[in-house]
Amino acid sequence: MAQAPKEFSVVGKRIPRIDAHERVTGQAQYTGDIQLPGMLYARVLRSPHPHAKIVGIDTSKAEKLPGVKAIVHHENAKVPWSSGGLTHQRFIFNNPVRYVGDAVAAVAATDRHIAEDALKLIDVKYEKIPHVLDANEALKPDAPKITPNGNLSVGKGSASAPIEESWGDVDKGFSEADRVFEDTYITKHVNNAQMERRVSVAKWDAGKLTVFASTQGVSNARTDIAKDFALPLSKVRIVCKYMGGGFGNKNQAQDYDYMAAVLAKVAGQPVKLEFTREDDYIGMHGRWSSEQRYKIGVKKDGTITAVTLNAVTNMGAYRKQSGNLSGTDFYNIPNFKKVILPVHTNTVVAANYRAPSYPQSVFGFASFLDQIAHEMDINPVDMFMRNRIQKYKSKTPFTSNFLEQCISEGSKRIGWQEKWHKAGATGGEKKHGIGMALGGYPFRPGLGAATIRLNPDGTAHVLVGVSDIGTGAKSTMAIIAAEALGISLTQIQLTNGDTDVTPYSVGESGSRTTSFTGLAVIAAAEDVRRQIFNRAAGQMKVKAEELDLRDGEVFVKADPSQKLPLERVVRSAGEMIGRATTNPAFKDVEGKSFSAHFAEVEVDGITGHVKISRYVAAHDSGTIINRLPAESQIKGGVTQGIGMAFTEELIIDKVTGIPINPNYRDAKVPTHLEVPEVEVIFIEQMDPFGPFGGKVVGEPPITAAVATIANAIFNATGKRVKELPITPDKILQARQV
Amino acid sequence: MNDEKGSKFSRRSFLKGLGSSAIGTAAISTGLVKTDPAEAYTPETSGNAPAKKALNLKVNGKLYKVDVEHRNTLAEVLRDQVGLTGTKIGCDRGECGACTVIIDGRNMYSCSQLAVWMEGKEILTIEGLAKGDKLDPLQEAFIEHDGPQCGFCTSGQIMSGKALLMKNPKPNETQARRGLSGNLCRCGNYNREVAAVLAVAAKAR
Repeated sequence: MAQAPKEFSVVGKRIPRIDAHERVTGQAQYTGDIQLPGMLYARVLRSPHPHAKIVGIDTSKAEKLPGVKAIVHHENAKVPWSSGGLTHQRFIFNNPVRYVGDAVAAVAATDRHIAEDALKLIDVKYEKIPHVLDANEALKPDAPKITPNGNLSVGKGSASAPIEESWGDVDKGFSEADRVFEDTYITKHVNNAQMERRVSVAKWDAGKLTVFASTQGVSNARTDIAKDFALPLSKVRIVCKYMGGGFGNKNQAQDYDYMAAVLAKVAGQPVKLEFTREDDYIGMHGRWSSEQRYKIGVKKDGTITAVTLNAVTNMGAYRKQSGNLSGTDFYNIPNFKKVILPVHTNTVVAANYRAPSYPQSVFGFASFLDQIAHEMDINPVDMFMRNRIQKYKSKTPFTSNFLEQCISEGSKRIGWQEKWHKAGATGGEKKHGIGMALGGYPFRPGLGAATIRLNPDGTAHVLVGVSDIGTGAKSTMAIIAAEALGISLTQIQLTNGDTDVTPYSVGESGSRTTSFTGLAVIAAAEDVRRQIFNRAAGQMKVKAEELDLRDGEVFVKADPSQKLPLERVVRSAGEMIGRATTNPAFKDVEGKSFSAHFAEVEVDGITGHVKISRYVAAHDSGTIINRLPAESQIKGGVTQGIGMAFTEELIIDKVTGIPINPNYRDAKVPTHLEVPEVEVIFIEQMDPFGPFGGKVVGEPPITAAVATIANAIFNATGKRVKELPITPDKILQARQV
Repeated sequence: MNDEKGSKFSRRSFLKGLGSSAIGTAAISTGLVKTDPAEAYTPETSGNAPAKKALNLKVNGKLYKVDVEHRNTLAEVLRDQVGLTGTKIGCDRGECGACTVIIDGRNMYSCSQLAVWMEGKEILTIEGLAKGDKLDPLQEAFIEHDGPQCGFCTSGQIMSGKALLMKNPKPNETQARRGLSGNLCRCGNYNREVAAVLAVAAKAR
């Protein structure tokens, strides 16, 4: 299916971001940097109880504090937050409160410290309700009910239902197996912890709401807010030009955007609502934790015959997203059945964090497969190569699949054959280990839109709705536009992230921007090129089909000496506008980016401390549009995986339900000192569907990282830690296999 | 502000626009604070009405006259009063380093320094690094090596890198990592940030 790599003029180079200058000089204006005349500051009051009915809110003392301008809570601001809960209705303020951190009230004041002081003066009377914190406990019949339907989150329709998926015949598959293994793996809640705390600035002008949001998607944020405030889309404007990370938890509109809008309306002044870092840890969401029970049947040679996965995922008090587990996606499993129970508990909400359903179960499944390889005396690289996915659900072909090359190139680069040894084989205090795992992320096309305005001097203005959350999406769109138009990148101006100006964008989630919006940029460029050639054909007295455009010159393909500068064509038309809305779909194919990761570690046998000495990440993401930020994405995904593997866990007190480490220091995100050089390999083969052959890049790198490190630690120690994070004490206490 | 009639669009018309209590629409009734100054309540939590102190702040070689409360951090005053928003606040509790500035030659978390302590000190922020249009070599290196992903920690990374290079123009990799280790980057771009510092160091060799 794949096409040979093509020579491009702009695509596929190492190009600094088009907005790098603004980002290194402090000139880039993020949401929190916006100051408006008369702007108030707002803070949020949160529930100290995991489950309680609010029986009274007395704001009279807070109201008397000089500088306080507006106080809103569930009684006076009953605003639904549609995207806050998939399955039962959620408001920006809820009664009862269902977790420690559930928003109770918000205050706007002339100064952020006054707003903070005012929170302490709000007297809330709670009536405690029995609570449940553990997902397995929550499923017991006598557990306190968090929703009217109980604690198994409702699926499609209204009945409580698990996520189920199956193909083939697992009973038959297990009967064909030479050996059948069963085990359980556990992962914990990890916060996205992006550097920019949540912040929103809202103002109303003549009935029109403008929200300067920190959002991954201005278009869907506008749709959400318009719907919940019952406003026409024309009365809502969302702006996000620079965005300080989100990794999935700034999709759509969030409750703080709504609170800022409501406070601004009530106060009649613009409001900036800022989360504290603690708010950010407990008031929004992190990655869902999971308990995964696998049964795997294999032939003598290691070939998988059947897999069942029964799992429980803890979604916290509200279900914002799926709760699925997808780590089995990278393997050829002829007979498969999974049943996942997304469960409500009275804990912090869990939802999307970079490759939402993957790292948890890539850790579980790839650890277990590595364990089975060990028990069957098979070299892990052979085990992974033999069982790598070739067809989706064993039947549908992929648009392109170079997972095999990821495994072979990556293992060659790290020196697998020379360095691999039996688990726990190295003596001495410092034990060497090497491990690997497979990962990736789905890739599919979808709704995208772009506008390109050609100026009379031949320069182009690209308008796209993307936020650029750190991926380099603005640069990617500009590069795609330059390549598709046939002009140089320096001739491109780009405007992004403003619903009053820029066309629809899917939002930077699901690694979709390059494929969804990128294809629209190409189509918009083609639209304007048609206009150029039609006009130039008259000027040059040739047929439009005979013309091409490169380096800002329109020329006759058969005789490039016959040419016309682009600006002369555009000037004669005033300006030219190319537009496209594209919505392609796959037919009888599936898309995926793939990866194979490899790590070498050194484990201190006395302290249990692990040092990653080498890391190689081999990726099939199709054509790489811009190698510089694409490599950075891979490095960053691995870094987040390192945090998830070794240290990160939001710990909830088992009695009170209070999160005890909602901050960087205690939740332990990786620092400069823990992260090795991550060597990145791109298997650059064009995908036939993606823009210029590109697939997805942003989410794949975190998927395999956790399992890769876990398997390297096993190889070093011969000890299998089956519960994240893999801390030194767990390594020391684990039994030698 | 508190006078409904005075504002162009009253809360009542807002409510009308929102519908009343139907599912899927918002309902907002009260919430506007009508403060009677005679009844103003001064809470124990904030102490007496906070006194403001006039302060001369020397930032990037310029003197700024600011009025600050004792509780205002340097990071807040730089951002809200001086208008230099390149200094970011990531945690506001001395953990992440996004607010790093250079004070008298040392990189420090400006969220953990009170503004009132800054009289007579030389403060250098990200905005003060470039000489006119000419970027600092470390800023150039951050562009070339893709130092910023989301860019929110970048100012702090650069200021810590700059402070290191001011003390030690030729740090090795270990020294560079240590020099930047107080600056978190959740995008995980550590390789790039260290590479940028080392690129500047290499030119000094």
